[in-house]
Amino acid sequence: MKHISPNQVAGQTAVKMPTRRALAKQQTRAKVLTAARRLFSEHGYEGATIRDIAAAAGMSTGAVFANFSDKSDLFREIMSDDMSALAESMRDAAPRGRSVDDCLLKMFTAGYAFYKSQLPLARAAFSVSWAPQDGPVLRNATQVQVLLEQIVEQLTLGIERGELSQEAEIKLRSQMLFDAYLSNYPQAIFEGWSLDALQSRARDQIRILLAGARRG
Amino acid sequence: MPTDLESPRRHVARNPRHPSAAADRASGPRQTQKEATRNRVLEAARELFDTQGYQGTTIREIARHAGVSVGSVFTTFASKGEILSQVMEERLDRLYAELDRVVPHLRGSTADRLRSMFAIHFAFEARRTRLFLSHIAAAYDWTLPSSTKPFGRTQRLRDMISDVLAQGVADGEVDPAADLQAMVELLIAAYGWTYHLVVTDGADVKVMTATMDRQIGLIADGFRPRSS
Repeated sequence: MKHISPNQVAGQTAVKMPTRRALAKQQTRAKVLTAARRLFSEHGYEGATIRDIAAAAGMSTGAVFANFSDKSDLFREIMSDDMSALAESMRDAAPRGRSVDDCLLKMFTAGYAFYKSQLPLARAAFSVSWAPQDGPVLRNATQVQVLLEQIVEQLTLGIERGELSQEAEIKLRSQMLFDAYLSNYPQAIFEGWSLDALQSRARDQIRILLAGARRG
Repeated sequence: MPTDLESPRRHVARNPRHPSAAADRASGPRQTQKEATRNRVLEAARELFDTQGYQGTTIREIARHAGVSVGSVFTTFASKGEILSQVMEERLDRLYAELDRVVPHLRGSTADRLRSMFAIHFAFEARRTRLFLSHIAAAYDWTLPSSTKPFGRTQRLRDMISDVLAQGVADGEVDPAADLQAMVELLIAAYGWTYHLVVTDGADVKVMTATMDRQIGLIADGFRPRSS
């Protein structure tokens, strides 16, 4: 079954008029997702139950299960919506940079800006990402891999422009850059770091991680 | 590294960080009973967090595994987060006692000393890598009391890395202008990330250590003094 996010509902109705029943189903899904988003943000992944989510959405647990197979399915759907939107804003931000460092920094900053207003949800996502079963699923999700790919792409462009050497160990370096980007979230979540503080830390990290790859 | 590092019971009894435990011993059978419960709960929890993960383990299961009532778990610990915190604190006390002894004797370049230091970490956690993943996961737990020190908020690892880097500056191997704080954070992030390989690739300690070695090499490129 194709999952339809609330963001896509409008676009899809324009293309093809769905049946009344399909429309009702989409509305139910959207209501569940909105409620789930709120409860995951307030109570974390573990603390939010399907029962609570159903109650908050004003429906029975049966109605929730008719649309989502379980809680992790529900969480994955929210994550994949957000990650797609995140990937898009990073993709828009990157080309505005003047160098590899700058492109990466613009990407990362776009990411921090995206999540700044929903840090509790980010916190829930980090928690899930370290869980034995759901963790690898989340980390290997296409949408997460797309973010990593974007970093690879920036390093590749850097080589093409002659900023980085051919032996830049792109795979390891991209992974470390991605990890550095993620590693600053706890500062935002627990210590209330501002966007400026995050950006400045990321700038240092990018400089360090690219130092060995620079030409000349 | 001596193998008795893995024998938790003995350590619990003489852990100076828990003065209440010491006081317990001094004051009668009731307190001894309480300490015994505490040790059993910690042992059961260590086992379950390691096999089922942090989120996958409930207090009820820990109580059953320890052979005590749920109520008596709660008279000793405020939450699951606190139990894990105590489990890790006792483990890490032993690790850091060992490192305090060994690190001053490490030889070689700054990067190599960092490599050795982290290799000791991985060797220590080898049999309990999933417990360590729990330790990281718990950092994001909603119910975690603020007094606990999950991964990323432990000062000892941070201090130890800082010391090695400061020594590097003194030896002329680390650029004095480098942002040491950022280096420390990167190394800790790399160390934490490497544990993922256990779950995603089924990595063993050898693979984790080798991966960390490469990451340290890459970070070291960033702190080497600019050749003038």
